[in-house]
Amino acid sequence: MDTEVTETGRIVVSGLTKKFGAVKAVDDLSFTVEPGSVTGFLGPNGAGKTTTLRCVLGLVTPSGGTATIDGRPYAELETPTRTVGALLEASSFHPARSARDHLRVYCRVAGLPRERADEVLELTGLTSAARRKAGQYSLGMRQRLGLAAALLGDPHVLVLDEPANGLDPEGIKWMRQLLRHLADQGRTILVSSHVLSEVEQTVDNVVIVNNGTLIRQGPLSELAEHHGHATLVRSPDADRLATALDGKADVRRPHADAVRVTGMDTAAVGHIAFTEGIELHELSTETSDLEQIFFTLTGETAPETAGQATPAGEHHDVTRAGGQS
Amino acid sequence: MIRLVRAEFDKTFSTKLWIWLLLGGIALMGTFMAFTIGFDGAEGNPSPPLSTPEGKRNLFATASAANTFALLLGIIAVTGEFRHQTVTPTFLATPHRGRVVTAKLAAYAVLGIAFGLVTIVAATAIALPWLAAIDIDLSMTSSGIPGTLAGVLAAVALYALLGVGVGALVRNQIAAVVGALVYLFVVEAFMRGLPVIRDYYQYLPGGASEALTATTDPVVEFLEPWQGGALLAIYALAFGVLGSLLSVRRDVT
Repeated sequence: MDTEVTETGRIVVSGLTKKFGAVKAVDDLSFTVEPGSVTGFLGPNGAGKTTTLRCVLGLVTPSGGTATIDGRPYAELETPTRTVGALLEASSFHPARSARDHLRVYCRVAGLPRERADEVLELTGLTSAARRKAGQYSLGMRQRLGLAAALLGDPHVLVLDEPANGLDPEGIKWMRQLLRHLADQGRTILVSSHVLSEVEQTVDNVVIVNNGTLIRQGPLSELAEHHGHATLVRSPDADRLATALDGKADVRRPHADAVRVTGMDTAAVGHIAFTEGIELHELSTETSDLEQIFFTLTGETAPETAGQATPAGEHHDVTRAGGQS
Repeated sequence: MIRLVRAEFDKTFSTKLWIWLLLGGIALMGTFMAFTIGFDGAEGNPSPPLSTPEGKRNLFATASAANTFALLLGIIAVTGEFRHQTVTPTFLATPHRGRVVTAKLAAYAVLGIAFGLVTIVAATAIALPWLAAIDIDLSMTSSGIPGTLAGVLAAVALYALLGVGVGALVRNQIAAVVGALVYLFVVEAFMRGLPVIRDYYQYLPGGASEALTATTDPVVEFLEPWQGGALLAIYALAFGVLGSLLSVRRDVT
């Protein structure tokens, strides 16, 4: 019992692996999601996010490893609808069934009062469309209906796959506020996205994946501190500056007359330029461009991440080891 | 489990498909019945005349026209979940997938019986005045008619279960529906019609259903009613178990 109490609201993914034929969609992935916070599950399309979430929800059987909610695999939850709410596809309802009837089916299964369907329709702003056939709904309304279904059992864990898809800017704002509000009530919220900027204002923590492996997990603020500062320098003598900085910091060349420096503060860059006698036309600090960090962490051209996560290297090692045994 | 079964009824009655399938079964029954009465005693018609108990049983056995539509209802109940991705919320609400299949089997057994009952009522409403008009005596409690009607109820219910099993196994709605229709109207029709292979028709679901409803045919052999019922139940169960084991367990992606 003790473990169950302490595990309440926590999602634990441990060594999760899922192969589809020869393709490893998820490869030895481990991370933890804590209650009372919004965790962004981020990665480019095809990174294995949806497969991971479906393993967590018991819809996909892992090839290896485990995923638990409240310390148990999803299939062993006694009251799944009251424990976990999930939004997966943009449309998982019969097009000829009204939104209200759709929700009432799941009220029935979970033993919830029928009125609960009307409550979540109200909460998601669909009351006026409750009797309409769900097939006539716009994409944004479908997302809202999906969210209504997720909230049906008043669950303390929410798993949302790309919930902002199809929402207009107002809808995204509404979704953000709702998720914030739900997290402040102590719920666990795991929300996936392939665009960091979409969830940047909402999430407390991030779990970044690429090619099915973990790239980074931690508070969003830490991510910005470690990777956020870059110094942009413009100089007619950019080549010489790049040479001077080489080995001391990470140097990129966005243009022929520009140098982008990370891993060194702006003052230090200015000092080196001064001591080398290099003429500067611009020296500026770029901070917390999270989208850029995100691309850096997940993109193909990300040398500075190689030491931290080595997704490609690990993958090759595993493959080679498998081939030898 | 009661909640799951009731949820299946909620699903069925919150769309209009069931009405069309019910009407389809009644229309097909009416067509069969019209042919049976219309060609009764016609020259060259080898079927037993309506004046005989065999003829009367055959007349009421036309209510098993609802079989096809109960089968489709069962198939669509399962394949529709995959087609419209409602299988995701369904399995999220009930992670033990076997329980979902069991609830569907229970719900569609009841719905099958209901389909059978309505079709029998419609058949009686057509047969009573029509036979009276052509001066054929009919007592609903004689000539083995009660047995035939009980057989119709069992057959329609078992076809609904067979549909659930086929749907669970195939998952693809178009493939399952087209496959079932081709089987019923092409494969079984040939099996029943071709002299060389006709003897094996009695072991197919169609033959089992005709045995169950105590049908008499001048050239086709049938099992005993109870044997037909048992055979049909085995078919339904086999598809349900196979579907649960092989197909329903697969990943929902």
